[in-house]
Amino acid sequence: MRLPRQAWLLAKNDLRQELRDLELVATASFFTLVVLVMFGLSFASLGRSVQPLAIPGMLWLAVAFVGALTLTRIFDRERESDTLRALLIAPVERLAIYLAKAAVTLVVLVGCCFVLVPGLVFMFPAASVFAERPWDTAALVVLGCTAYASVGTVFAAGLATSSGKNVLLSVILYPLTSPALMWALVATRALLDGHPAFSTYLAQLAALDVLLVFLGGWLFESVLVGSGRRGASPRRARARSRKGRQ
Amino acid sequence: MMARTLPIILLLFAAVVFPLSVSTIFLDVGIERQLGTVQKIFYFHVPLAWIMMLYGMVCGIAAAVQLRRESRMAEAIAIAAGEMVIVAGLGVLITGPIWGHASWGKAWTWDARQITTGLLWLVFVAYVLVRRYGAAGSERLAAALAIFGAVDVPIIYYAVKIWKTTHPSNDVVATLPPEMWAALWPALGALLATATAMVAVRARQELAEMDLDDAWVEAEDIAPAAAVMVKGDA
Amino acid sequence: MSDEVTPLELCGIGKRFGRLSVLRGVDLRVDPGEVVGLIGANGSGKTTLLNIAVGLLPPSEGERRLGGRPAAQVELEQRAKLAFVTHTTQLYGRLTARENMALFAELRAVVGAPTAPADPLLERLGLLHAADRMVGTYSRGMMQRLALARALQGRPQLLLLDEPFTALDRPGRERLAEVLVQERAAGLAVLLSSHDYDAVVAVTDRVVLLEGGRLAGEVQRGRGDEALGYRDRVAALGLLRPSVGIEAPPKEEHARA
Repeated sequence: MRLPRQAWLLAKNDLRQELRDLELVATASFFTLVVLVMFGLSFASLGRSVQPLAIPGMLWLAVAFVGALTLTRIFDRERESDTLRALLIAPVERLAIYLAKAAVTLVVLVGCCFVLVPGLVFMFPAASVFAERPWDTAALVVLGCTAYASVGTVFAAGLATSSGKNVLLSVILYPLTSPALMWALVATRALLDGHPAFSTYLAQLAALDVLLVFLGGWLFESVLVGSGRRGASPRRARARSRKGRQ
Repeated sequence: MMARTLPIILLLFAAVVFPLSVSTIFLDVGIERQLGTVQKIFYFHVPLAWIMMLYGMVCGIAAAVQLRRESRMAEAIAIAAGEMVIVAGLGVLITGPIWGHASWGKAWTWDARQITTGLLWLVFVAYVLVRRYGAAGSERLAAALAIFGAVDVPIIYYAVKIWKTTHPSNDVVATLPPEMWAALWPALGALLATATAMVAVRARQELAEMDLDDAWVEAEDIAPAAAVMVKGDA
Repeated sequence: MSDEVTPLELCGIGKRFGRLSVLRGVDLRVDPGEVVGLIGANGSGKTTLLNIAVGLLPPSEGERRLGGRPAAQVELEQRAKLAFVTHTTQLYGRLTARENMALFAELRAVVGAPTAPADPLLERLGLLHAADRMVGTYSRGMMQRLALARALQGRPQLLLLDEPFTALDRPGRERLAEVLVQERAAGLAVLLSSHDYDAVVAVTDRVVLLEGGRLAGEVQRGRGDEALGYRDRVAALGLLRPSVGIEAPPKEEHARA
């Protein structure tokens, strides 16, 4: 029971801080808007028939961009005064930290999709499917963003506890999240085409989410503080220490 | 001792088998009717691709052992295997489009295997980048990256396959007559032996580097006064 | 809090980053009710040693024992009994002092770890009047005191302080010393690193000198050469000049941690 409760406390704490100044939501959703406008300018002339080929790419590329920004900001905030370290020393399950951070990232990403998806519907007629099948769209967006957040949280946290080099986040993030984004792309294409296999893809995406969250949770602690099991013999060290104390 | 002789044995094996396999490929196996001589690249392309996938998996598993056990050997193997993925991947990504251009008329067709190879290659380039440019402690981050990378392989492959079945394309890989398979095995054996020898040498080199670091630290230990003096002067 | 349990025991701790050896064979033990000062020049490994002691960094060699038990990985139960205050304060600037305290109290409550009420602690550290202000508006010294209050609310057995006097003015330092004396009487074990000579002499029972990553000397209050006082013997440890000015936390130690 303590895992979900600590995770909830931590997520609530992050959300409460966010509500005080809405910095993340404001910057991320504005950035989403900018990306959307860029896509609109680039692809406005696409014909109705080829739009379904381009829209999934726009949706998930935007999520990938916004996700990198969000992850950087969330962990920069922890880094400003080293609060992540305070959590690592406190009697808090490391898994709870991981789940809380991933959940907050997910909330921000889904929030951005509230700008993104209606924007796409507004700009491209072929995207009207999103509006016609809002529940399918919502499920798709949430599942896709979960995959992204679950991978990204591990590496953003790992980079936040080592010194500097946030550049490496995008180097790591884009190749690693590509399979998840590809699943999301496939599913989005199926949704736009009205393909009957859509629900299968959605279920597979959910399975992928479970796998990635599991893997991320498993690796989170080792990446942040190390596993502590090593080959060096403690006996020798202890013998030396006894000598030293006399 | 085994670690020292193994690469030599493997390289000797490759030195014998590789010329034989090349002569088989170019002299014994008939020239494929549709593609002509270009089809010969298949005997190098496919083994390289398998080697790449194999060492991607090896790197992921070694990285997991490294994370769980803090094992130096596993770390050295992970580094060597990760670099081998890049080298073999480069070979695959060069030979593939040449073959593809000849057989499909297009160098890059967004085939499932192509995308898998390309993305896997990117993941391992990221691995090497993190190892090289990451701050202290990023070897654990890099290990996690390799693990995710290895897990990604089947996922990407399956994803693209499904994508393709939704939108079938005309690309059909020719089915191979048995004599071609027979020529493939020696080529695979020779290349795999070479790659394994290279990984073993590289891993040993990495271990030697760690041992050298140990020796340096011990040397400082023996003459701590000198070390302190040097530091004090600075 | 049983007296037999040694809150912190480091045996032959070494830490290396490749060829760079930051700590070598450090043996250090802090007993209940003991305040140990860790002194040393910049880059001597003080921060690294503290980070290893709390489990933020894995040691390259040696054994770490917390609360009498080996801690290859510092387990949650062991973390419940230790606290670490650094010069980075580790506070949420967008929360008030009370909220900062409450978050950790709630997190502790979930795992059944004891927690002291916040208000008396805030009062003891002179922060009660600002308890509902955003921590982001605090001065450095106030943040430092709040960090200490948060550390103490978990009733730890072991308290580690990294440069605790850095941002404090004289009354703040005196208050910290007073709190440390009170907590020591209650059995708290403290390990603190500092450049501040007077403060170290005032609050510690023992001072160890870290030089080039190894322990290079030790002075215990009330033991040894009677002709020289504790203060003089600490001075004789060599590295500290009397009344040293406050130095900024070294950058490279920051990066290493």
